[in-house]
Amino acid sequence: MLTAAPLTAAPLTVASLSRSQLEARLAGPGLTVRTGPFTSRIHSAIPQVADGIELLYGAYPLLGDGDFADFHVGLRRPGGLHRWYKPQVSFDLDGLVPFEPLPEAHAFPMLEWGLNWCISTRAHAYLMIHAAVVERDGLAAILPAPPGSGKSTLCAALVHRGWRLLSDELALFCPRDGRLLPVPRPVSLKNRSIEVIRDYVAGAVLSAPVSNTTKGTVAHLKAPPASVARAGESARPAWIVFPKYEAGAATSLEAIPRARAFFRVADNAFNYSHMGASGFATLAGAIDACASYDFRYSELDEAIAVFAALEAPR
Amino acid sequence: MGASETRWCLRPGQHLAYRQWDGKCVLYNDLSGDTHLLGDGGIELLLALRQGPATRQALAAVLQAEFDIDADALERETGTLLDDLQHLYLIDTLAC
Repeated sequence: MLTAAPLTAAPLTVASLSRSQLEARLAGPGLTVRTGPFTSRIHSAIPQVADGIELLYGAYPLLGDGDFADFHVGLRRPGGLHRWYKPQVSFDLDGLVPFEPLPEAHAFPMLEWGLNWCISTRAHAYLMIHAAVVERDGLAAILPAPPGSGKSTLCAALVHRGWRLLSDELALFCPRDGRLLPVPRPVSLKNRSIEVIRDYVAGAVLSAPVSNTTKGTVAHLKAPPASVARAGESARPAWIVFPKYEAGAATSLEAIPRARAFFRVADNAFNYSHMGASGFATLAGAIDACASYDFRYSELDEAIAVFAALEAPR
Repeated sequence: MGASETRWCLRPGQHLAYRQWDGKCVLYNDLSGDTHLLGDGGIELLLALRQGPATRQALAAVLQAEFDIDADALERETGTLLDDLQHLYLIDTLAC
């Protein structure tokens, strides 16, 4: 008797499109791509957008034109004289243009910033913290920090030394079970960090650096494909680590009392106040579950060793 | 009715969602949406009021039972805590 194994087709990914198909979708019905719990439909005829997506989004699930999308975004050239002289790009969400236009060369970083903005201003089903999140053996380390703290540099190094990338920008806590949902997108690197990671990560795939942005020179590091493939696997919060890069500083890890950690994480939240009692319960649960630390570093190898030695909290 | 007979109560709508870590209490205020860092005395008074309205004298007795404190300090501390908690819309006096 013949028995047929169930056929489960692998989901299509962005990499299944040729360059011309990718451009046709972007310029036409939109490219519908899934990143963790969110689906975005992206419209753009600007080559730099196609360049960035082709380079960095190949492993992401590709959805059809008729599939539901959370965010309908566009990167378009505004009208006026700028179309011919110093061309610009503007970002829109459902026809709303929330930001001033930028030089056209900034189109791909603007897409990344715009998608972050879409999530951080709309995804209020989750408690959202401005933080990188990495995971090992099912346990997540949350790295809340303001810009300039070395958060993304450390995150980029960790995810190429055995940790899984959940996000370099957004910790998404699910209020129902307190777990962290992945949104593994490209890691945003700035200024000197670009060269640091290019040197530190063999074979690092980085978008072309874009200079003179509001954040200086920026480039995006491709998320590890294994992290993208596991975008449906949540993780249990175990450590909260406030990173601080200081040139020449000795590596140090100091425990923080839970009450103080609570307020410091809340200070880095996008929607703690918006969520009310649910936000309190979710954050309090995370503080209960985690050991919290201040972390200073200047050497990535030493930082990686400290993270490797983190013990699961009891 | 004198001040000593005034009865204090939790403000309606306060559910006293809180956590205590290392002697510090972090409490969510259901009415203002703020989150407060309280000391041991503050949360003791709130938990006592969760049982029902109480006079200042009864609340002072709660503090006395929990903390080693002399009579003058007890009087001062009770008054300060009640003022602070009322200012935060956590507690109020009963209207009658």
